[in-house]
Amino acid sequence: MNKKIDKAEYEKRINRITDLFKDMIVQADRQSLARCPYKNRLDQCTAKFCCQNKRKPRAEGELSICACKDGLDYRTAWESDPEAYAHVRQQLKEQRSSQAS
Amino acid sequence: MAKITDITNQFVRDQIEQFIDSEVEQQHIIQLYAQATPDMQDIAAGIIDGQHKTVDCLTRAALDGGTAALDVMDNGLIAGMAIVGIKFRDNFIFVPEVLACARAMKAGMAHIEPILSESGIEPVGKVIMGTVRGDLHDIGKNLCIMMLRGSGFAVVDLGVDTSPNDFIAAVEEYQAPVVGMSALLTTTMPNMGKTIEAFIDADMRDDVHFMVGGAPVTRDFADEMGADGYGDSAIECVEVAKQLIGVKTERRTEP
Repeated sequence: MNKKIDKAEYEKRINRITDLFKDMIVQADRQSLARCPYKNRLDQCTAKFCCQNKRKPRAEGELSICACKDGLDYRTAWESDPEAYAHVRQQLKEQRSSQAS
Repeated sequence: MAKITDITNQFVRDQIEQFIDSEVEQQHIIQLYAQATPDMQDIAAGIIDGQHKTVDCLTRAALDGGTAALDVMDNGLIAGMAIVGIKFRDNFIFVPEVLACARAMKAGMAHIEPILSESGIEPVGKVIMGTVRGDLHDIGKNLCIMMLRGSGFAVVDLGVDTSPNDFIAAVEEYQAPVVGMSALLTTTMPNMGKTIEAFIDADMRDDVHFMVGGAPVTRDFADEMGADGYGDSAIECVEVAKQLIGVKTERRTEP
């Protein structure tokens, strides 16, 4: 059975965590000026929405590759309407398959 | 003076050697980890690696084994986040990795929360958070949640594309006094106002305070749609939530 926690001692830990996280938020803001925040350390895209910078994953089951060049404004590539994006992709796919046949 | 060989966890040792350049900082971290028991170092390693399931299991085992909750926080969870902070600051990892580490920390804290409750320590407040309907951008919201949880709030995360009815259902279920809404697109921003209207229609507007944020959202827009609070960063989000809970408490004491 664990002992009860002293409130003042707990608050000291919360303050420490808050300080750590505040520094991280500042860094996240700084990083986001030049690098898409959805891009992980492996240059994969973690976004749940469509983005024009998404490229085929390196292997099946992996996340898409982010082709964004850091330093450029990545936000213009974000699709505001995922359904429209999916529709256009479907149209392109159909066009390509009809051209191929 | 502690040496790196005093740290038993090889992963932690590698992380220190690979990612911490400053000698002063390296020594500080070595000192911190050298005093931690091997099981605390293992928890810290799980945090650094963003392994929430590992942290979940190890924290449970440590507490069951009699380790004090504050020791788990100091030598496991916070020690792990200290290295995460350095790696992030120096651009070795990015926001998605930090959020994975924060998720791992939450998994550990989940086992400490019941002990806090038994000790009479309640969360600062409860907040429902979600990205509004039609919007799938969640980084800003997730950073806000990380900050809120780190500051002692209990947060219910509704995720992305959250309908007004989902917000209403969550408030009813969790009895949270604050709802935080996020939007990144100008096209979805009006859905914040629609959500507030849905609460008015459901006769629940007086039960909650709304705080809003997101890249295109301004204080004027927040006022216009009838939000109670606006924050332009995840740090401000915590302050706004605290203010709103204070306001709520004062209102409740009114005759």
